[in-house]
Amino acid sequence: MLQIEHLSVWYDVTEVIRDVSLEVPSNSIVALMGGNGAGKSTILNTLSGLLQPRHGTITIDDIPMANFHPQDMVKAGVVQVPQGRFVWPGMSVQDNLLLGASIRSRKEKHAIRKDMDDVFQMFPILHERRKGLAANLSGGEQQMLAIGRALMARPRLLLMDEPSHGLSPLMVEKMVVAIRQLHERGLTILLVEQNVGVAAAVSEHAYILANGEIEFSAVGSTLADNPDILRSYLGGSRDDGSSMEPPSTGA
Amino acid sequence: MLAYLLMSGIATGALYAMMAIGLVLVYRSTGHINFSHGELFMFGGFIAYTFFVILGVPYFLSLILAVIGGFVLGILSDRAVYRPLIKAPPLTMVLATVGFSFFLKGIARYFWGSMEGGDYVAFPAAMDPSPIPIGSIMVFPQQLLILAGAIVFVVGFTIFFRMTRAGKMMQATSENPTAAYLSGIRVERVYTLTWGAGSAIAAAAAVLMAPMTLLSPDVGFQLLLKAFAATVLGGLGSMPGAIVGGLLVGILESLGGGYVHSGVQDVSAFIVIIIVLILRPAGIFGVRNIRDT
Ligand SMILES: Nc1ncnc2c1ncn2[C@@H]1O[C@H](COP(=O)(O)OP(=O)(O)O)[C@@H](O)[C@H]1O
Ligand SMILES: [Mg+2]
Repeated sequence: MLQIEHLSVWYDVTEVIRDVSLEVPSNSIVALMGGNGAGKSTILNTLSGLLQPRHGTITIDDIPMANFHPQDMVKAGVVQVPQGRFVWPGMSVQDNLLLGASIRSRKEKHAIRKDMDDVFQMFPILHERRKGLAANLSGGEQQMLAIGRALMARPRLLLMDEPSHGLSPLMVEKMVVAIRQLHERGLTILLVEQNVGVAAAVSEHAYILANGEIEFSAVGSTLADNPDILRSYLGGSRDDGSSMEPPSTGA
Repeated sequence: MLAYLLMSGIATGALYAMMAIGLVLVYRSTGHINFSHGELFMFGGFIAYTFFVILGVPYFLSLILAVIGGFVLGILSDRAVYRPLIKAPPLTMVLATVGFSFFLKGIARYFWGSMEGGDYVAFPAAMDPSPIPIGSIMVFPQQLLILAGAIVFVVGFTIFFRMTRAGKMMQATSENPTAAYLSGIRVERVYTLTWGAGSAIAAAAAVLMAPMTLLSPDVGFQLLLKAFAATVLGGLGSMPGAIVGGLLVGILESLGGGYVHSGVQDVSAFIVIIIVLILRPAGIFGVRNIRDT
């Protein structure tokens, strides 16, 4: 589905992503892990067209993407759920979802309605709060809204940036269930996570990024079983890979 | 006397409010103060003058044509000034919009500057100018027209924002442009629409105001200052604040000019602004951080 080859991305004078190659097969969940500042969000933002790579190729379904605008990626079915609950706080939950369907034609009105109902079915709390402002949702609910909004664009590949970040353990459990559900519906997911518990619970394959380079790649279940790898690459003080607590993180 | 001063203050204030709305619209969406906003107002006035006075088109049709002209001019200013500098630092944008304001002034002076001998042209009354009594006060028909026009434009704008997809995209872009990009919204087009809409409403204000004053290529700066005062008073970035701020500036001016000294008219608003900002630095409706980064 997605192939990245020899990707390098720069911010002005610093090379933040160095020669990264990775692959996300269709209908898989691939975890992309690494400590703060490793470059995970930079990769997702490059895939979303917010940043331009300096070198390397991005291929979607064997079609190379070049000089693309964020809208082109959404149209190609690659939609990001950004880090930190980037919802529109001053707008209603319903409007947030509707604008997720910005690329779709007005003629699809009924299909858009139906997709919104699907989102409401998946996250009933959003239905309850649909008329309220997004600002009044809890952190977890905003994360659900961000996911719901992305679904409104009818993605095939979902890029999720730390969906469990800052959530309570109970919410993290719900998020794991939601990610599995999305997968069952046929979505391919590239999941950026610092919470090894979450990554191991859902993903089949994982890449670990450090200083902008792929340091390690593994099958998901071995990650949780191998605390040494986690400690060395993620730099956390974790003893137990099954912990659901995210490592301490900055902003 | 009080009723009369209030009435004329509210009418002028409604125009300031319209100007302030345009300023706030662009500020909220792009994070920049459009220093050519006053000249967009002036230009809209001259477009209407061309249709109404020179070509003999009826007033209301001239108003609509000027609004359309203003919209197009706003789009051109987006393409000429904003779009090329979209990533430039704020000061660059300040200089660019100031530069653009001089450009518009130059064009206006070239085409309309010496039309009636001096720099000023008179914009004839849109209707019978003799005041009509309402209760115990005399009101100019144009003042009523200004109020009606301002209400129509503000209500129309609000509906546009709340109800239409384009309006919602504008709000989304101003609240979080990154999220807008990631949802596939053509953010650049939203900016273009924003500049166009801000300029269109400035043109409307100009056409409503022109019959009560004279029109000149230099009239814009004063209007920009008043609109800026209104937005600061209302809390930079707040739409209801812009409206309340505009009305307050208009009323304060009118009362200051009537009761204290006519020279106070132009400074009274600023004196009050200074006091408000000392007591409530974020403005009446103010939020401290308007744009999240
Ligand atoms: N806008 C920016 N300008 C300059 N450097 C940046 C910018 N955004 C991120 N960086 C740097 O790029 C590196 C990778 O950041 P990021 O992709 O956000 O990491 P992660 O998501 O893995 O925490 C970090 O060193 C960060 O400081
Ligand atoms: Mg990140």
